[in-house]
Amino acid sequence: MSGAPQDYRETHLVDPFERHIGPVYERGEAPHKTFALVVDKRHVNMRDIIHGGMLMTFADAALGQAVWDVTDRAPSVTLNMQSQFLKPAKEGDLIEVTPQLMRKTKSLVFMRGDFQVRGETVFAVTSVWKLLGR
Amino acid sequence: MPPHPPAIPPEAEIASTGGFNAYVGPLYRLPDDGETKRFAFKIEDKHMNGSGSVHGGMLMSFADVAMSRTSRLVTGAKGVSTVALNCDFVGPGKLGEVVEARVRVTRTARTMVFLSSELVVGERVLLVATGLWKIAGEPA
Repeated sequence: MSGAPQDYRETHLVDPFERHIGPVYERGEAPHKTFALVVDKRHVNMRDIIHGGMLMTFADAALGQAVWDVTDRAPSVTLNMQSQFLKPAKEGDLIEVTPQLMRKTKSLVFMRGDFQVRGETVFAVTSVWKLLGR
Repeated sequence: MPPHPPAIPPEAEIASTGGFNAYVGPLYRLPDDGETKRFAFKIEDKHMNGSGSVHGGMLMSFADVAMSRTSRLVTGAKGVSTVALNCDFVGPGKLGEVVEARVRVTRTARTMVFLSSELVVGERVLLVATGLWKIAGEPA
């Protein structure tokens, strides 16, 4: 791994599974950060295309960071994620997402994200998060 | 439902031979149960989140692998692509548990396959998923 892409810094990941598949990068300031993944050979399938599981894991990590940023770091869990796989991304591609907060209630957060390669959306996600103990 | 296997059974076949599957695996295919295709993996340290449960990304990855493989098994297609996947996270899985995926085909059309699956530890449901797969090489 050759360091952060231009204008990005490494995101501090806590979860062992996210550290296993990371690094993930970010730029900007909460709650409007953009997150990025550089697709490497660990992330692709036998056709050299990023694995759907990898995209969903990156989405869960990036949108989870965004949920943290809008809840003062409240502990939360993913309740539901809906994923649409629009176009393949390949090894070496930079995938970027700026998560959007759709709604925040006392106990729930609704997020969405369009994941782009060179400005084109390749993957789109909506997810619902439960704030624990609320 | 058969009793929850405390370990990966000896008749399981490796389903993760390379790439991302091998990096997050090992993942296994279990013998079919009638129409239901079955897969399994054991939750290891690398699969966890910071709260002591299996990470949702790993469960979605496993569901995607199990459902993609089932799409290929039932159609005979060389390749399939995930088009859409909806996952509900019903309950947590813990370190050392064997998670089983039970995959059913809702409909096979000319170019598309509709699937549903449940990820369980014994009788306990961790995740339910529905999704849509496209048979590679066929126009959408």
